[in-house]
Amino acid sequence: MVATRWIGLSVIVLVVAAAVFAPYLTSYDPSRSSVDFLQGASAAHWLGTDDLGRDVLSRVLYGARTSLIVGIGAALVATLLGVPVGLMAGYLGGRVDVVAVQLIDLFVALPGLVLALIITAMVGATLENLMFVLGFVMWPTVARLVRGQVLNIRQSVYVEAAIALGGRTVWILWAHIWPNIVRVVAAQFAITVSFAIFTSASLSFLGLGVPPPTPDWGGMVRAGFDFLAITPLMSLGPGAAVAVTVFGFYLLGSTIE
Amino acid sequence: MLTLIIRRILLLIPNVILLTALLFWSVSALLGSPVAMMLGQDADLESIAALNAKYGFDRPIVVQYADWIWSALNGDFGRSYTTQQSVADAVLPRIPVSLELAGWAILLATLGATVLNSIPVARRALTAMNTGLSVVGITVPNFMLGISLIYLFSVQLGWLPTTGWVDWSDGVGAHLLHLIMPTVTLSAFYFGSFTLVYRAEYRATYRQMFIKVARAKGLTESRVSFKHALPNSILPVITFMGLSLGQLTGGAVVTETVFSIPGVGRLFVDSITGHDFPVMLAVGMVIIVGVMLMNLLADVLYTVVNPQISLD
Repeated sequence: MVATRWIGLSVIVLVVAAAVFAPYLTSYDPSRSSVDFLQGASAAHWLGTDDLGRDVLSRVLYGARTSLIVGIGAALVATLLGVPVGLMAGYLGGRVDVVAVQLIDLFVALPGLVLALIITAMVGATLENLMFVLGFVMWPTVARLVRGQVLNIRQSVYVEAAIALGGRTVWILWAHIWPNIVRVVAAQFAITVSFAIFTSASLSFLGLGVPPPTPDWGGMVRAGFDFLAITPLMSLGPGAAVAVTVFGFYLLGSTIE
Repeated sequence: MLTLIIRRILLLIPNVILLTALLFWSVSALLGSPVAMMLGQDADLESIAALNAKYGFDRPIVVQYADWIWSALNGDFGRSYTTQQSVADAVLPRIPVSLELAGWAILLATLGATVLNSIPVARRALTAMNTGLSVVGITVPNFMLGISLIYLFSVQLGWLPTTGWVDWSDGVGAHLLHLIMPTVTLSAFYFGSFTLVYRAEYRATYRQMFIKVARAKGLTESRVSFKHALPNSILPVITFMGLSLGQLTGGAVVTETVFSIPGVGRLFVDSITGHDFPVMLAVGMVIIVGVMLMNLLADVLYTVVNPQISLD
């Protein structure tokens, strides 16, 4: 388990490094076109060039920025919405819990990608909007997980003791419940990042991504799809980047628990 | 049993009304007037108002929704803005296509996950292989997997047709050939998650007494595994199947787009990118109702497989 966690972590470090140091890793401007279009892999262009003559590798490197911002932003939104709802539903119980569970069940049963497609089509695909839309689509999963954990912990003797001592609800949640669920929340955070990147790449593959010329993995895969027989790396390169990034965060998340 | 199913279906109605109302309201509120969009930016206000009146967009939103749902219940979903075709005619023939693809994918994922994880020989190698395959299935997005398969099997090897759809009536062989890559693509995620769920349960089952008894009777290891352990470990897979149907629709949307399959998901994407309001609403409703009905079906299946659980 520890070994796989390190694999996940090192993949994430690599992707973050690519995003941060993109200008130093490549000498090509990701949105600058040239006459060398649709070239295969060469020493000058490791992943070839696209239909506008842009260097695919540098677009993949810069594309990591878009993916990471959307993925981490969406996971933050989902966590900030889901954790309080889950905490309250699990701890307070009663009517709050019934309403929360109804809401969660309704959302969880709905297709996330379809929901994201509709909302993104309406609000427009910008970086901030994508973060909020994906966070909004994913918070119920976080809330459900937190609620389940809190339900268990609330039964324990130390919580009962804290209540008997007259502890305020906020303090009990902070001092006794939160420390026990923080690990699970962190694991879920990494998993949410991985699925947010997955979903945002799918959205932009379907034509609802960050508008060009911003390099964006899903959109690049779509653009390269038409030239698959000529220069496969134009599509498979950014596709592999999505897969590897999702893999890294998923691996990290599934080994923390 | 039957009354319970009917009750569950009746309980779906308020949810469907709520969700479609939300869909209707948000689409019309945020998309603005579809007429303005149809006519483009240069249209003058008078022609916008005239078309608005013609299509009834000048009425209050509640009236519009009531009107829409009433016509929808009578089978009339309006006309597509882009093709002028009746929406029902555009959507209905696509439903069996999507259902068939989803059916094959679920079948392949379930069979793959249960059989590959039950083979009693070379356990260590098989476990490693299945773990690898399941992680790949969960983390590689459908579009990446689909395009990689197309590149390998169509562009490089030339074994399979790239994209498209051939109807049953135009040849069973061609129909199935066109289905292979989409089915594998769509099933990958489910194969991955079913494997994780199934394996945990299978191991727990294997430690139980009746497995020891079956062995003691002298049954072969494969008979113990497939006849005794497998049927007793399949329940969580069915539960999970029901829970993941929402995800399946999302995967189907992407897979249908990659392989140019004329299914509901592809129509949905086209209607969204083309701002085709009536089609978008109708397909949105079909998907929501479909997912809810399939959830119900999974619950029913669950009680059939395990009679100890009642549908309450």
